[in-house]
Amino acid sequence: MKTSSQLEKPDQFYDELAHAHQDLDRQASEALNARLVFILANQIGNQKVLSECIALAARVPESAA
Amino acid sequence: MIEENVSGYQLPRFEYRRPADFDQTAQRYPVVIVGGGLAGLTLAADLSTRGIAFVLLDEDNTVGVKGASSRGIVYAQKSLEIFDRLGIYDKIAEKGVAWSVGKSLVGEKDIIYEFDAAKDSQSCQPPFLNIQQFYIEWFLVDRINELNVGEIRWMNRVKDVIADETHTLLEVETPDGSYWLEAEWLVDCSGLASGVREKLGLETFPEKGTERWCISDIRFKKEMPLERWTWVESPVNDGRAVWQHPMADGVWRIDFQMKLDSDVEYISRPDVCEERVKKLLGNDEPFELVWVGPWASRTHLLDDFRHHRVLFAGDSAHVFPPLGARGGNSGIQDADNLGWKLALVLRGLASESLLQSYSQERRPAAIHNTDLATRSVRFLSPQSDGQRVLRNAVIALAKNCEFAQTMINTGRLSTAFSYQGSDLSMDEGESIPNFSILLTNGQQQKLVDYAVDGQLIAISTSREALNQLANNALFKVLHIGQTDPDSIVDTDGKIAETLGVKDGSIVILRPDLHVLARFKQMDSAALNEIKRRINYVEQGELQ
Repeated sequence: MKTSSQLEKPDQFYDELAHAHQDLDRQASEALNARLVFILANQIGNQKVLSECIALAARVPESAA
Repeated sequence: MIEENVSGYQLPRFEYRRPADFDQTAQRYPVVIVGGGLAGLTLAADLSTRGIAFVLLDEDNTVGVKGASSRGIVYAQKSLEIFDRLGIYDKIAEKGVAWSVGKSLVGEKDIIYEFDAAKDSQSCQPPFLNIQQFYIEWFLVDRINELNVGEIRWMNRVKDVIADETHTLLEVETPDGSYWLEAEWLVDCSGLASGVREKLGLETFPEKGTERWCISDIRFKKEMPLERWTWVESPVNDGRAVWQHPMADGVWRIDFQMKLDSDVEYISRPDVCEERVKKLLGNDEPFELVWVGPWASRTHLLDDFRHHRVLFAGDSAHVFPPLGARGGNSGIQDADNLGWKLALVLRGLASESLLQSYSQERRPAAIHNTDLATRSVRFLSPQSDGQRVLRNAVIALAKNCEFAQTMINTGRLSTAFSYQGSDLSMDEGESIPNFSILLTNGQQQKLVDYAVDGQLIAISTSREALNQLANNALFKVLHIGQTDPDSIVDTDGKIAETLGVKDGSIVILRPDLHVLARFKQMDSAALNEIKRRINYVEQGELQ
C-alpha cells in the first residue's frame, strides 16, 4: 500500500468527488461512496494491498477535531 | 427388505436381525461405525471395497430421517467421484439431476450473476448432481450388502461408550435387549446430536445464530430450467433470499430465508409454507408439499477428530451454516480421507500414527467450510446499516459490471479441500479429478479404477522412474506414453499437465486421489520419505 501521493491531480480528483456528492442526501451519498469503493478496489485488485487499505481506513479516527 | 410409500416416495425398510453377540462374550471388531448416514455408509462402503470387515450400528431401520425428509441434496464433484470409485455413481446419475449452471437474481427475473461450473471440468462426473439424500444412502446400503464384507445392524442403538487407550467398549440396545461389543477402532458418524460424543464428554463449542430458513421439498409439473437459481432479494419472500434446486422424481427444493429470530414452528407450518410457494409458482399451478422443515443456524467443531481409538466424522465432528452444500459433502469426504488410512493401519502396513493426519486434514477442511459459509451468511444477512449499504452497492453494480457479479454470494458450492498442512502432506495435497484414461492397448479406464484397492498410485512419463517402484506392493504404477500396451495415451499432454508431471518427474497419489507428493526424480531417498510420511511399517520375513 502506498501512502505517498499517487494522484496526478489531487485537487481535481477531490473536486470531482465532492461535485458528485453535491446534491445528494446522506443516504444517496453513502450509496455513491460504497459503489465507488468497489469500483476503485477492482482497479487495485491485489488482496494484500486492499487488506492494508481497509486496515488503514479503520485505524484513522473519524474526525481530526 | 420391504418398500413403503412415504410422501409419494418408495422407501426401504430393512430387517432387524438378532446379533450373534448375545450368545457370547464381548467380541472385538476391527472397525465399528456408529450411524448410517452419508459419512457412516460411505466409510462402510469404502472399507468394503478395501476388504476390511466392520460392524455398522444404526438406531433406525430405514434410510433418511423422519420419513421423506431429504436433507442434503447437492452432491459436489469430489463426492460424486468417490461414489464412482465405490461403484454406485451410475445409479445416482440415473436417478438424480446433473447440473452446472447457477444463476443469481434480484426482483422477479433480473439475473445479476451466472456461472457454468462445467467449463473447466476434467472429471468424468458433473460439477454437481442433485438427488435426495436417502437415495444415496439406499444405494450405499445396497452396495455394502452386495460386497458382503461387513455387517449393517439395523435397530441397534448405542447406549454406553467406554473409550480405552487400545480399544472402545460399547453397550448396544436392540429390540432383544442390550449386548456389549469391542471396537479396535470406533468411528462415530452419528450426527449433530451424537450420543457417543456426549457420553465421552467431548466439547464442541456450539454456537447458535439468528439466521432462519424454511426448507421445502415440493412436487409439481411446471417446466423450469434444471439449474440452480438463487434470489438475493425476492419479491415473493418479502425481499429476502430464495434458493431453487431441481432434484429426483420431479421434486424441487425451495429454501426461503426467513426473518432473523423467526419462530421456527410458525415458518414451517404447511399452510404458511404453501402461501410462499403459491407466490413463487403462481396461483394456478398445482403442487404438493412433500416435506417442509425449519433450519436455525447452529455451528460446532470438535477440537480433535480423534479421541483415543474413537474417530469422528461428519456432523458429529463439525456443523456449518447450510450454505454451499458443505454438510453432507464434507461427511462423505471425511470418510474418503479415513477409509484408506484405516485399511493401511488394520493391514499392519502403517502404524496408527497415520491416523493423526485424519484430524490434521479434515479439521482445517471443516474450518474452511465454516469460513466460506459464514461469508455467504454475511452477504445474505447484513448485520448493520453500513453492511446493507455495501451489499446494495454490489447488487447495483452487478447489473453492468462483471467484477461486481463475482461478489454476489448466495453460497459458494463446495469444492475438494487441499491437504497442505498435515504431517502426511509434502507441500502438496490437491484433489486430482477423475479423468478418463485411454491405454495404448485401447482399453478405456477412469482414474478412480486405480484407487479401489488402496495402493498409492505413482504416475510419470518416465518408465525409468516408475521401474524403481514396480515391484513394491505399496504402489500401483501408471506410465504416460506409448511404449507399452498399458501406457496412458496423452497426445495433447493434458493428463501430464493436470497431474503436474513433466521431464521424468513423478507424482504420488493417495487412494483418495489427493496428491501425496511430487518428485523431480525417484530415488531411495524419495521412497524413504514416502514411507516415513505414511508411517509405513516394514514387513518382516514372515507373512
